[in-house]
Amino acid sequence: MSDKLRIVIVDDEPLARAVLREYAAADPEIEIVADCANGFEAVKAVADFAPDLVLLDVQMPKLDGFEVLELLGKDQAVVFVTAYDQYALRAFEVHAIDYLLKPFSVERFQEAVERARERIRAKTAIPVDEILRDAKPRTGHAERVLIRDGANVHVLPVDKIDYVEAQDDYVAFKSEGKQYLKDQTLSAVEEALDPARFVRIHRSFILNIDRIAKVELYAKDSRMAILRDGTRLPVSRAGYARLSQLL
Amino acid sequence: MHPILASPGRLAAYIAIWLPLGILLAALLALQGVFGWTRAAVVAVPLSISYGFLCLSAWYVTGGSPVERVGAARVAIAAIGSSLLSAAVWLLIARGWLALIGGLAQWPDINASFRAAAPTLFGFGFLLYLLAMAVSYLAAAFAVSRGAERRGLELQVLAREAELRALRAQIDPHFLFNSLQSISALTTVDSAAARRMCLLLADFLRETLALGARARIPLSAELALVRKFLSIEQVRFGPRLQVEIDPGEASDVPVPPLLLQPLAENAVTHGIAHLLDGGVVRIRAERRTASLAVTVDNPVDADRPAGRGTGLGLRNVRERLASAYGADAFAHAEEHDGTYTVRVELPL
Repeated sequence: MSDKLRIVIVDDEPLARAVLREYAAADPEIEIVADCANGFEAVKAVADFAPDLVLLDVQMPKLDGFEVLELLGKDQAVVFVTAYDQYALRAFEVHAIDYLLKPFSVERFQEAVERARERIRAKTAIPVDEILRDAKPRTGHAERVLIRDGANVHVLPVDKIDYVEAQDDYVAFKSEGKQYLKDQTLSAVEEALDPARFVRIHRSFILNIDRIAKVELYAKDSRMAILRDGTRLPVSRAGYARLSQLL
Repeated sequence: MHPILASPGRLAAYIAIWLPLGILLAALLALQGVFGWTRAAVVAVPLSISYGFLCLSAWYVTGGSPVERVGAARVAIAAIGSSLLSAAVWLLIARGWLALIGGLAQWPDINASFRAAAPTLFGFGFLLYLLAMAVSYLAAAFAVSRGAERRGLELQVLAREAELRALRAQIDPHFLFNSLQSISALTTVDSAAARRMCLLLADFLRETLALGARARIPLSAELALVRKFLSIEQVRFGPRLQVEIDPGEASDVPVPPLLLQPLAENAVTHGIAHLLDGGVVRIRAERRTASLAVTVDNPVDADRPAGRGTGLGLRNVRERLASAYGADAFAHAEEHDGTYTVRVELPL
C-alpha cells in the first residue's frame, strides 16, 4: 500500500471535476480513486474505496454537499468546494473548515490538500452537527430523513415514518415495516422533526401521531400506545402529558 | 431674494418696461392739460421708474405663493389694500419730486399743478400695482408648476435608475462565479471552448446592460439574450441542460428588456440544477389577437426540500409587468406532474 493520498472528487458539473482532476494529477502524491457526479455516487464511492479525502461540491442535485457530509459522518476528511454561498462560507469560517472557492488556483488547491493531510494525520474530527446547523438557515422542520446503509442512501420522507426508536448508539426509523438505522441521538431527531406531528412519548420513542389508533392504560401510571398496524409502544407519564396536549 | 433683483439683466429689462409706462403717464397728463408735453415727460418718466421699484414689493405681498394656496378673499383684500397704500406713497413721492424740479428748473408754478395731477397719478399707481400683484401671482404659479414638472421628471429618472440597478443586481453572482470556473476549467481542456465561453459571457453582459437601458425591445432580442444565457449555462451543465426556444410568430412584439431572463435563470437554478439527469428548458411564445403569451417550462425535482423557492425572480417579473402594463399583464406559475411552468401574458 502506497502512502498516496487517496481522494474522491464529487461535483455535478463535468468541468468542475475536470479542474479537480487536472490539479490532482499534478501532484504525484495524490491518487484519484473515484470521480462522482452526485451525492449518491459519493456515498457509494466512500463505502467502496474508503478514501482519505473527499473533495465535495456544496451545490448539487438531490443531495447537497452538507447532506453528503451528514451521511459520511465526522471521521471522513472533507474539503468543500463552492462557488458562492454566504451561509456555507460563514459556517466554514466559524468552524475552521478548509474550503475551495471556485474558481481557484492550483496553488490554493495544493494548500488545501496539504492542510487536509495534516488533519488526517492528527485524526481531527469534523464538527458535523455544528456545521450543518450553521450552514443551512433552518427554514422549518425536516421534510425528509437521510439514512446511509452501506453504499446506499435512503431518502425517507417524514410522513412515511411510523416511529423512531433509540437503540444503543443508534436511532432506528421504522417505516412501512422496515427499519433504518442512523448514527444520531433521539434528542437530535426530536429537535429536527415537526413537534406538531411527532411527539416523544417515551425516553426511547418518538411517535408519528397520525399512526396512533388508541392509548390504553395497562398499569398504574403506565400506558401503551397502540398503532394502526397493531404495534404497541410504551408511553411514559411525561410522554402521555405531551401526547394529550397535542391530541 | 427677489427674482428680479437677483439678476442685473432681469432688472434692466424690468426698468425698460417702466419707461414706456412713464411715457404713457406723461401723455395722459399732457392730454388732460395738466402739464405741457415737456414738463409732463420730466415729471412722469422718473416717477414711473421710481414706481417700478415700489412695485417690486408686490412680490413680497404675494409671498411668492400662488393664489390657490392663499385663498381668494385674502388675495383680494391684500391686493386692494397694498395697491391703495403704494399709490398713496407714490403720491407723496410725486409731491416731493414736483417740489424738487420746481426749484431746480425754475418752474415755481409746477407745484400748483399737483392737485390737478393727483387723481391721474393715484389711479395709475393703483392699477399698476394691482397688475404687478397679478404678475407676481402668475409668476409664482408658473414657478410651482415648473417645479412640479421638474420633480416629476426627476422621479421618472430615479425610477428608471432604480430599475436599471435592479436589473444589474439580477445577474446572480453565482452565475458569474460559475462561469469563471467553467472558463478556468476549459483553458487546459479545450482552449478554443474557453475563448468561446469568454466571448459568450462578454456578449451576454454587454447586451444585458445595453438592452436594460431601453424601455422596450423586440421579443426576438430578448429571446436571443436568453439563449445566450442558457448557452453559457450549457457549458457548465453539459448534456444535463437542453434548450428549446420557439418565438412563434411574435419575434417583433415589443417587451420590457430582461423580462424573461430571470425566468430562464430560475428554470436552471431551481429546476435543472436539482435533477440528476437534468432536462429541457422550453420557452414558447404565441401571438394572439391582442396579447402575447410566453411560457417557460422546465422539469423539477418533485421532492426537493422546501424553502428553495423561485419567489424572488418571479416577484421581480411580476413587478416589472405591473409597472409596464398595470393590470393588463400577468405572470402565473404552476407545478404539475414534475413540470414547473410560468406563463406570462402582456398586451400587444
